[in-house]
Amino acid sequence: MYRAESNELSPSKLFRRHTGAGRRFLPMLPLLLGLGAAQMAAADTIHAVGVENEYANVISQIGGKYVEVSAIESNPNTDPHTFEASPAVAREIAAAQLVVRNGVGYDSWAKKILAADPNSKREVIVVQDLLHLPDSTKNPHLWYKPETMPAVVKAVAASLSKLDPAHAAFFKANVQKFDASLKPWYAAIASFKAKYPHTPVAVTEPVADYMLQAAGCDLKTPWNLQAAIMNGTDPAPQDVSIQNQLFKNHQVKVFLYNQQVTDSLTASFLNNAKAAHIPVVGVYETMPTGYTYQSWMLAEVNALRASVENGTSTTVLK
Amino acid sequence: MFAFLSSQPVQTALIVGSCAALVSALIGVFTVLRGNAFAGHALADVSSAGGAASFLWGISPLLGFLGMAWIAAFGMEFLGVRKARERDLATGIVLGAGLGLSALFLYLDVTTTSTTGAAVSVMFGSLFAISQGLIWPAILAVLAVFLLVGLFYRPLILTAVDPDLATLRGVSPRWMGLLQLLVLGLAVAVCALAIGAVLATALLIGPAGAAIRLSRRPAQAIFWAMMIALTAVWSGIWMAYESYYWFSGNAWPVSFFVVVLIFLFYLLAMFGSSWQHKYRRRGITSLRRLQEP
Repeated sequence: MYRAESNELSPSKLFRRHTGAGRRFLPMLPLLLGLGAAQMAAADTIHAVGVENEYANVISQIGGKYVEVSAIESNPNTDPHTFEASPAVAREIAAAQLVVRNGVGYDSWAKKILAADPNSKREVIVVQDLLHLPDSTKNPHLWYKPETMPAVVKAVAASLSKLDPAHAAFFKANVQKFDASLKPWYAAIASFKAKYPHTPVAVTEPVADYMLQAAGCDLKTPWNLQAAIMNGTDPAPQDVSIQNQLFKNHQVKVFLYNQQVTDSLTASFLNNAKAAHIPVVGVYETMPTGYTYQSWMLAEVNALRASVENGTSTTVLK
Repeated sequence: MFAFLSSQPVQTALIVGSCAALVSALIGVFTVLRGNAFAGHALADVSSAGGAASFLWGISPLLGFLGMAWIAAFGMEFLGVRKARERDLATGIVLGAGLGLSALFLYLDVTTTSTTGAAVSVMFGSLFAISQGLIWPAILAVLAVFLLVGLFYRPLILTAVDPDLATLRGVSPRWMGLLQLLVLGLAVAVCALAIGAVLATALLIGPAGAAIRLSRRPAQAIFWAMMIALTAVWSGIWMAYESYYWFSGNAWPVSFFVVVLIFLFYLLAMFGSSWQHKYRRRGITSLRRLQEP
């Protein structure tokens, strides 16, 4: 369920906004108030926030030039799970007209910021609710699920059309364009599944698990170990031993390593995998620079395929 | 049992845990005799800033803990005062500043690097997740402590129990105080690595506190402290390993079991010694008289 209320540009919103456009318009406010509100709405861009940068990327693909999007979680060198919001981030989210966030406890800080500054005119899309997932969902990395983004873009287009009804057709066309652009990724997943069914794989944490499941992979790493690494808690020695045996006995074809959650334990897994000549594929929590959502996902599947087909490691996506 | 001992994380945990147990028992006795338990606790807490910084700069966590423990130790000695009350104040001030620093470093860890578990492993330890590369540095740290204490055993004991008498006998209190802090820093670093900076206190003063209740002689007290610490650490590791089967795969942290066992041993030693006093009526032992001015 996502909140979808009508939103028209009001003078009070001009004060709240801190984007470049907002600042420039502020001194001219008395003048602008004299003009019709409808004219203003047409001339101004919608300010949207994608809490995770993959959602921001998708919003901008749908909204095009009518939307100005910022992303909060985009540093590829940090773990988004441990993100701490600064006052500037809080202001940015509170001022946005459209916010897309993941949910499943991944960005509960954003939920608190939104709750602290209620605004019935703000459109909020929670991806967890779009997919009808319960709070007890164990793996929060929903954007690796092939069915997630089509639902997100549909909701984004609906919200944008409410904020800017004049361009509803434009947003709708972009949704179709987006859905079509996902086809190569779906084809890559299907072809991998057909050619290499039940490929045994090891992972550090569940970041790409949804995609691996879609590709028919057999996840050999115990869930409790994945959860311990994801949450930064003590791993059980039994689980660590199982993982090391997977490498030593060549029971897995590839090791998927999250570049954004590392410690001495994941480093030791990486060494063991390399020692056993098991190819390594680097996966990411947030979209790496130089990619769109579609090209990123396709690159991950291609890296997976290259590792199984030729034994090539792709530790860093470039 | 075979699966337990052949598990690589268990082996690393047993070696690093034993290092921490031996060194903390040895230094713990001096610390408790000198009435420095609070300073020991503060050093351990402050060393967490070094542990957090090590994640930030990508250096060995042992070096991080050690560096910060030494800085704090010399800070306390610099602010240090003779009177117990003022010493507590200086210790408390350094403790507060150090923990503030570790709050900053932990914040920077999670906001600028990909180290998710930094806070938990620095503060509460992750014995099963220690990298094998730290085994030799930990052993070396322990050997250094045993060597230093072995060389200066008598003056160290004398300074710990009666600084004035030590000065009369020609022992330099300044140099002995410095040496004590040097080895205390090393011990704290190994303990913090094993069971975390916050819990290191338990290992540092728990077994020593229990042992001093059991024995009248420093050498014997050190021996008992080592036995208690090793038992607590080994049983703790075994229980954490077994807890995997108790809670269907959700093992409890090692540090919890180690600390609980140390507490139980302390209680046992307390009741044991009061029973001893009641029935044996041997009077106050030489050690206890020296300990209480």
